[in-house]
This record gives sequence, C-alpha cells and structure tokens, in this order.
Amino acid sequence: MNAQQPVSIIMIEDDEGHARLIEKNIRRAGISNHLTHFLDGTSALEYLFNSPDGPANNGPAMVLLDLNLPDMSGTDILTKIKSDPRLHRTPVVVLTTTDDKVEIARCYDLGCNVYITKPVNYESFSDAIRQLGLFLSVIQVPDQDA
Amino acid sequence: MLQIDDRRFNRLAASAVGIGFLLLFLAFVGGIFALIGTERSSEQVDHSYEVVDQLAEIEVRIERAEAASRGYLLSPAPVRLSTFRENVAEIPPGIDRLALLTIDNAFQQRNVAKLRTQVADELDTLTAIMAKAGAGQSEAARADFVREVQLRRVNAIRSTTGAMRTEELRLLDNRIASQSRSSSLSKLVLGLTGLLLILIGIGATWLVRRYTRDLTQARDRLHLLNTDLEGAVAERTADLTLANDEIQRFAYIVSHDLRSPLVNIMGFTSELERADKMVTNFFDTLAKSDTPVPEDVRLAVHEDLPESIDFIRSSTQKMDRLIQAILSLSRQGRRVLTPEHLPMDTIVGEVVRSLEMVAADRNARFLIEAPLPDLFHDRLTVEQIFTNLMENAVKYLAPGRPGVINIRGTANGGRTRFEVEDNGRGIAPEDHSRVFDLFRRSGQQDQQGEGIGLANVRSLAYRLGGTVTLRSVLSEGSTFIVELPQKSSAEGKPE
Repeated sequence: MNAQQPVSIIMIEDDEGHARLIEKNIRRAGISNHLTHFLDGTSALEYLFNSPDGPANNGPAMVLLDLNLPDMSGTDILTKIKSDPRLHRTPVVVLTTTDDKVEIARCYDLGCNVYITKPVNYESFSDAIRQLGLFLSVIQVPDQDA
Repeated sequence: MLQIDDRRFNRLAASAVGIGFLLLFLAFVGGIFALIGTERSSEQVDHSYEVVDQLAEIEVRIERAEAASRGYLLSPAPVRLSTFRENVAEIPPGIDRLALLTIDNAFQQRNVAKLRTQVADELDTLTAIMAKAGAGQSEAARADFVREVQLRRVNAIRSTTGAMRTEELRLLDNRIASQSRSSSLSKLVLGLTGLLLILIGIGATWLVRRYTRDLTQARDRLHLLNTDLEGAVAERTADLTLANDEIQRFAYIVSHDLRSPLVNIMGFTSELERADKMVTNFFDTLAKSDTPVPEDVRLAVHEDLPESIDFIRSSTQKMDRLIQAILSLSRQGRRVLTPEHLPMDTIVGEVVRSLEMVAADRNARFLIEAPLPDLFHDRLTVEQIFTNLMENAVKYLAPGRPGVINIRGTANGGRTRFEVEDNGRGIAPEDHSRVFDLFRRSGQQDQQGEGIGLANVRSLAYRLGGTVTLRSVLSEGSTFIVELPQKSSAEGKPE
C-alpha cells in the first residue's frame, strides 16, 4: 500500500448513455483514474463493501452516484457509505436529473460532497466535470499523507 | 313532506286544545247556572217550610187562646187571663208575616185574607167572652162560649189553614222535585266537566308526547345527517387530497423520467457537434488540397449536418423547458403555504419596481389605483400571480401604442377582486379560456415563452381558493380579474 495509489472512480448509473457521456467527459477533462461502472445498486454495494479490490478493503475511491436506480434509491447507498467507518470519508458526487431543493438538501444532510444536476447543456456539464477533476486531485492529498 | 305534516299537525293540535278549553268554559258557566238554580230551589223549599211553620204557629196560638179562655171560664185565675192575652197579641203579627211570606202567591193571599177575617172574628168573640167573665158575668160568658163552640169557628179557621198548608205542601213537593232536578243537573254538569277535563288532559298529553317524539326524532335525524355530512366531507376531502397527491407525484415522476433520455439526446448531440466540427475541418483541408469533392457530400457536411444538429438542439432545449415547467408546477402544488398579512399596495409596488426597467424599454407604465385591499395569504404565491399577470401585460403590448397598465382592487364581504387592465393587443374571444391551459398561447407568436404563465396563475389562484378570469377585446386590451378570499382558508384547518 503506498501513498501514491491513485483514487479509483466508482460510477453507479443505470442509464448507459449517461454513463458513457460522464466517462467521455471525465476523460476529456484530463482525468485518467481507473473507472468502474455499475448499472444497479446491489452490485455496486457488493463491490463497495465486499470486493477484495473494492474501496472498503483496498485503496481510496470516489463515488459518482445516480439517485434513480432500478433496484434502490441512491440516497440509500449514500446513507450506507456515510455510516460505514471504512467508507465514510469517501467523497460522493451525486448526479441526478432533478434540481429539487428538498432532494438536494437531503443529500447534503446525508453527507454527499457534491451535488450535480445532470445538465442538458453540454458545455456546463463539461465545466462541472472539470471542477470535479480539480476536486479529485485535491482529495488525493490526505491519502498521500496517510 | 315533513314540514306540511308538522304544520297540519300544529293547526290540528291548536284547534283541538282551543275547542277543549271552550267546552271547559261552557261547562264552567253551566255549572254556575246549575249552582244558582239549586240555591234558588233550596231557598224556595226553605220558604215553603217557613210558611208551613208560620201556619202551625198561628194554629197553636189560636188553640192556646181558646184553651186559656176555656180554662178561665171554668176557674178564673189571673195566669190564664195573661196566657190568653199573650197568645192573642201574637196572632195578628203572625198573620201579617204569613201574608208577607206568601205575597207572590195569589191563592194563598186570598186564603190569608179569609183567615185574617175568620181569626179576627174568633178573637173578638173570645175577647168579649173574656171581658164578660172578668166582669163577673160567668154564666153569660159560659153561654157565649158554648155558642161559640157550637159555631165551630175554629174549624173554619183550621180548614183555611189546612187548605193553605196543602197548597204550600204541594208547592214544597214541586220545589223539592225541582231542587233535586237542579241538583242532579249540577251533578251532571260537574261530571261532564270532569270528563272533559280528563279528555283534554289525555289529548294534550298525547299531543305533547307526539310532538316531543317528532321533535326528538327530527333532532336525532338532523344529528345523524350532520355527523354523516362531516364524515362525507372528510372522506371526499381525503379522496381529493389523495387524487391531488397522485397527480403531483405523477407529474413529478413523468417530468423526472422524461428528462433522463433528454440528457442523453443533448449530450450525444454535443458529441455529434464535436465530431461534426472535426469532420468539417478535415473536409475543408481536403477541399483546399484540390481533391475533387462531390457536391452532395459538400452539402451534407456544410448544411445538412449543422442544420440537423441545430434543430435537435433547439427542440431538446424547448422540451427541457417544458419539462421544467411541469416540474415547477408540480412542485408548486406541493409547496406548503404560509399565510401572512400582505399589504397589497406594497406588494404590487414591489412587482412594479421589478418590472420597471422592462416596461420603460417597451414604452409602458404601471398605474396602481391605491388603496388595494390587503390580503392574508402566502406571500410568494400572491407575488407570483401578480408578477405573471403584469409581466404578460408588459409583454403583449399593442404595436405603436404606449402601454398603460392599471392595477385596481376592491374588497366585499370577505372576497377581494383585483384587476390588471392593459391597453395591449388583446386576446381573441375563442382563446379566452384556452390561454389558461398549459403550453397554450394566443395571437402572434412573436414573444418568448412556453405558455406556462397563465396556467401557473390559474393553478396558484385555485390553491388560494380563488379564481382568475379575463375579459378582452382583440387589439384594444385585456383585463385579468383575480378573485381571492381575503383571508386564507388554510388558516386553522388541519393539513
């Protein structure tokens, strides 16, 4: 285990188109971290908590989380991550189609780090992803110290 | 039905009680008359007895006077003389009393007169005999007395008094019979009165009981209806709330889920755009290097591709705005209203200030006809209603005419009525109700907008328990009328 270990990105998103767009734009923003994609909540939770190369057992990670999943609500996953001692420091970026203030507030209450409304406007989406990239490089610092 | 029955019953009851009391009064009067009759009969009976007594007394006095005089003739003792005088003195007043007592009876009066003569004759004779005896002429007196006895004057007197007694007894019989008749009449009247009283009592009790029972039944029925009504209202309200919640949820889910594919379309359109730019650049480089390019390929690259991408983009943007509109409407329906006191002059004044720049640009101005009635409602909702209406007024001006927008309001019995009147381009009559529908617009489509504003205003007004209507003449202007309860009904009601 060394301090230089890169942050791996875990994307939980049931819409393949959205997932593809997010990945493309992450790459285009110059972020080349390893990205794992899950289409449903159950397999994502299994990976997060139990997989030997998952973040609970191995290395730092950040989570890109869609709130509308076929098998569970994204907020359930958020709650589980934030209440687990191994994972509660893992940054979670909530990506969703709603800009409902109540939902945003609830996600922040549950410990979400960034809330991004999925934009129809491509340019602003890229901006958000780039900001996310900045955020990603920042969060690597405490891990390097650890 | 019930009312008619009740009214008839009341009339019936009132007349029955009235008749009952009238009969009772008649019985009372009858009783009084019967009593008076009985009294008179018994007075007459007493009167007859008195007459008979008086007759007897007169007879006794005469007998005694005669006996005294006879004794005196046999043995002249002074005590006999005084007894004689005493009795004789009593007789004429007795006859006078008798005459007085029978003054109403001609037959008896005649008898009294006869008796008076006979008695006077007898008494004169006896007095003369007593005088002779007193003077010592005992023999002469005795001879007179014997003659007197032989004359049987006393017998004549007795027959007269006898006749009188018989007459009086006959009257007495009549009177006793009449007394007993009148007494039994009294009893009959008394009995009838008692019977009547009992009947009225029973009737009145029955009426009161029936009336009370009807009242109780009516009250119970009313109570039941009331309770049922409250229950029914609560049930309907719950149903409505459920249905409304369902619609809100539906709108939210639909708009939410519609947005998801839209994100893809927009995102991949951007990808296409990027790719298109690269292809175009490559194509332009290729074209410069004298490579022959078919005309249709050039058109496809330079026109078809950018045009298609532009249309996809503008359509998806519009769709996104529509979805956002539905979302925000559905969110508004979920928002909790917090009523507060709203000084409308200030509120509308603030809206005017926020629109002043736009209005000045378009050569329009606002006129508030103060004072506007104050409201007790959710501030944001009221602000949105007026902002939307006033924005529309500024937006849809008549070309070439400076815009004048009047805002006025009145309050009447807990209801308020606000009017936003403009001199703008107006709305065609066939569009008057259509403009309030979501995504529907009227007239020339030369202004930005999705057709949401008025739909929003209407749903907001409904939420406050009010309505919004309009009157308009095409190309002369429109007036939007917002009618709201002055106080929010949500206050004090359970949510």
